[in-house]
Amino acid sequence: MTTSAIIDDLKKKKIVALLKEGQRIDGRALDEPRTLAIDTGVIPKAEGSARVRLGDTEVVCGVKVQPDKPFPDLGDRGIFICTAEIMPLADPTVETGPPGEDVIELARVVDRGIRESGMIDLTQLVLQKNKSVVGIFVDNSVTDYDGNLFDACSYASVASIMSCKIPKWEIKDDVPTKVDGQVIDPPITTLPISVTMGRIGDQIIVDPNADEWGCMDARITITTNSAGNICAIQKGGNDGFTQEQLVKCGQISIATGAKIREIMKKVGGS
Amino acid sequence: MGVKKTDIVLLDDKGIRCDGRTIDQPRRIMIKAGVLKNANGSAYIEFGENKILAGVFGPRDVHPKHLANTDKGILRCRYHMQPYSVSERKNPAPSRREIEISKVIKEALEPAVMLENFPRTVVDVFIEILQADGGSRCAALDAAAVALADAGIPMRDMVSACAAGKVADTIVLDINNEEDQEGQADMPVALMPNLGKITLIQLDGVLTPQEYEKCVNTAVNGCKLVYEVQKNALRDKFFGDGTQ
Amino acid sequence: MDDVQRKYVIPGDVITTGPYRAEENVHLFGDKIIATTVGISEVFDSGVRVIPLTGRYLPRIDDFVIGIVKSHTSLSWELDINSCYAGILPASDVFGRDFDPKVDQLTSRLKTGDLVAARIANSDRSRDPLITISDRDLGKIEEGELIKISPSKVPRLIGKRGSMIQTIESATKAIITIGQNGYVVVSSEDPDGLLKALDAIKTVEEQAHVPNLTERIQEMLGSNSE
Repeated sequence: MTTSAIIDDLKKKKIVALLKEGQRIDGRALDEPRTLAIDTGVIPKAEGSARVRLGDTEVVCGVKVQPDKPFPDLGDRGIFICTAEIMPLADPTVETGPPGEDVIELARVVDRGIRESGMIDLTQLVLQKNKSVVGIFVDNSVTDYDGNLFDACSYASVASIMSCKIPKWEIKDDVPTKVDGQVIDPPITTLPISVTMGRIGDQIIVDPNADEWGCMDARITITTNSAGNICAIQKGGNDGFTQEQLVKCGQISIATGAKIREIMKKVGGS
Repeated sequence: MGVKKTDIVLLDDKGIRCDGRTIDQPRRIMIKAGVLKNANGSAYIEFGENKILAGVFGPRDVHPKHLANTDKGILRCRYHMQPYSVSERKNPAPSRREIEISKVIKEALEPAVMLENFPRTVVDVFIEILQADGGSRCAALDAAAVALADAGIPMRDMVSACAAGKVADTIVLDINNEEDQEGQADMPVALMPNLGKITLIQLDGVLTPQEYEKCVNTAVNGCKLVYEVQKNALRDKFFGDGTQ
Repeated sequence: MDDVQRKYVIPGDVITTGPYRAEENVHLFGDKIIATTVGISEVFDSGVRVIPLTGRYLPRIDDFVIGIVKSHTSLSWELDINSCYAGILPASDVFGRDFDPKVDQLTSRLKTGDLVAARIANSDRSRDPLITISDRDLGKIEEGELIKISPSKVPRLIGKRGSMIQTIESATKAIITIGQNGYVVVSSEDPDGLLKALDAIKTVEEQAHVPNLTERIQEMLGSNSE
């Protein structure tokens, strides 16, 4: 969410004043993300799932895997769709109804970060070329808001995908039929890790919490892959970055991304 | 879909159901109060394989303003299923079933909630089904009532819900997913336990008049069992070790 | 004095039966007196009530509250006072009787995000509560950190005759301003003292039901200031 409840002015002033000294309101270092807790398998009926806590932000993600028709012109690969929604119980300012531009941006950025990295080798998910393929549907539900939904949803999605089990389908009478009791691990090629940074004044901070989110001049989300290369970028907010700041953000996203990738590797299933 | 279901035995000759329970045994129920940071009140419930989160905001200003009632507060309720909560992925947009259940749950809570002292406000109840497994509307109601109490919304009584049904010509308590699909009747019921008022009752299936009475009785007993779990959830959160 | 029977209750619990007067947070059903909120029930003299352990702030006339400015019209500011209703601070309260919207700009005195120490001037259910800041000791808060606690814990934070808040203030050298609505402002010249005071306040909120809490807080603050 880019808009949030009113932050009192004294707190805003304190956040800005502390940052001028290189300090943050919760005592973290500028490039330090909050504690990340990942539990997988929380929705046993889904093919994959995870609950992520990033500070007090909480996201539940479920992966459904089912046969589907391929996209036209892409009959030689499976389908990957990633969504995100903020549940109204996550924050008093969330409205019900069709998603607004903030939520749509959130979903598309999380989707792109994973898709562009090539995390899932979709060519391995074809049942009948041009006719039926395996569809992987990753749905994120934000259940508590404390800033930085981009990273929380991305980590939940990656952990869910890593720990999911893909059923086996056989083609019988031209129709995919599930083979009970047989599952395979998903064809994973890389681990994309997103790192979201905010700019307040001249300082770049990693993983802003809700209070910092409400004071940011601009924000940027950069996703890197296991090779340490950058595969997705999204800048947001109603102000900008200098070129030097952008380079610095790139470096931070690679370094911090590597640390979080180590946490992610320990997630069950791989 | 092309999948052939193996024939499950809904009730064997020893009176054991397909998941090992006896006819009067409810599934495992666990409720935790106060699980969200931002909501004014919240609760998480696991009822069998159902996993449900409820959050409450309010009483608060009503938007849009024309919905406000000048004499008393209003109650709004949203029952919503996550796409991954069921076997085949569900479209995130609200279905007609969810809209109906939202209304039925709201009307089950309204007799309990006391909003006369809060004119021009709304109490919003948001229920998110993370995993569904038969009887989700009862489990949702159980969590919502705890969330309302957690938020300090004044209530005449708690609301406790449980379903009963008919499988293999026998009235049983708390039917699960298989029993719902293969059974003969499904009757969700909600009860205000101290005032003895039933605020939700629906029936899917056919019952004789005697079966109907027995089914209501069975469901009411189930509601009372759930009430104990709701009480403990609130006591655990607010009363420390629960000592009086 | 100690003829008050106390019990933990949840909504629907029957507190007692008989010819008692129903006071706050209970209702009558036949001859049963039933709790309507989670809290501690008290049966005293001829009355029964429940002290809630949760819930938002219910405005009462003359209560001292801390508010956050949410928005304004040309005639008043709207404050978040942790209640079901927004508090309304009329411009005339700040600018005086001859306030003229064409000349006097509201934002010159208070803008969105400002914290104010205020009093409830009027509260009837048919309209939003009226706020006043025209007293000394009231007005815009220029420094300090806002911490929010449940209004039901405010009496515990103040303590018997102020014992709890005095314990915290003297141990941390902080100044603590407590609004009846659960909004509390803590200020201190010493950043360590500030953090200790905030920790102590959070602890009081979490352990409000624990006996001898004042001694515990004293120990907690005493051992920290070594």
